[in-house]
Amino acid sequence: MSEADFDVQYIERDDRSARVLIRGLSPAFANGIRRAMIADVPTFSIDTVRFVENSSVMFDEMLGLRLGLVPLTTPIDDFEIGDEVTLALDVAGPGTAYSGDLVSSEPLVEPADKNVPLIELKEGQRVELEADAVLDTGKEHAKHQGGVSVGYRHLQRVTVEGDLGEFDEEETRILRGVIETEDGEIVPTEAFDHDLSERYPGKEVSVEDVPGAFVFHVETDGSVDVEELIVRAIGTIEERADELRTTIAV
Amino acid sequence: MSYRCSRCKRDVTLDEYGGVRCPYCGHRVLLKERGGDVKEVSVE
Repeated sequence: MSEADFDVQYIERDDRSARVLIRGLSPAFANGIRRAMIADVPTFSIDTVRFVENSSVMFDEMLGLRLGLVPLTTPIDDFEIGDEVTLALDVAGPGTAYSGDLVSSEPLVEPADKNVPLIELKEGQRVELEADAVLDTGKEHAKHQGGVSVGYRHLQRVTVEGDLGEFDEEETRILRGVIETEDGEIVPTEAFDHDLSERYPGKEVSVEDVPGAFVFHVETDGSVDVEELIVRAIGTIEERADELRTTIAV
Repeated sequence: MSYRCSRCKRDVTLDEYGGVRCPYCGHRVLLKERGGDVKEVSVE
């Protein structure tokens, strides 16, 4: 197997969102990674809810659906697909029940955000329930998606062709994404308000896609951090390729 | 099957002869109470 020449560069990096420039990818592979980040990285999500009491105004089923969408932190190494963790909720009105009120039986798996409102309760209303969260992938159900708003664009190279003609009008030139300048500088277009005429006033510029260079925008719901999401997604592609290889070899 | 009278708020048990009527106050609007067992809901 030949060693592919990849180059990875973080443009922005946070716990939950990042922009990463990856060079040396084919468009098909880039899309494969994107799809794997959405559908193949497993996360915990509430799957079954047992209601002991629900005197709120919301039906059990509606509350169940809301609970299913609460992101739960997922240490993937410690669990296997299909593993279950039980959470409990016991709240009485008046007040709002938040995801932070969920009590988990497993300290590793708990709501990623504590401030997701679940239901508003009035005086005398009460909700008591037990919920089973299960580890599964986004292809089984969208609530298991770890990556949200995952996408990519080509890196764009901007070249200065020359000065604008004396009587040419300076027009705005809107561009979104990340550009590479002639001296190899990587600049997000936010830096010049997405307008090339701001950065290169009085110049005539040309823009072209850099082949094999993709800028990924990756955002997670908090169940895994960005770097892990990317690494896991690539891992699943590798696993499937290995599986295919062994199947063919037999 | 247990119901609750919407006027006098008392628990009412209906039989097949009495019709839909609260035996205490005669009110004809009865509310069905939620059962006591644990209800399991699958989230899909």
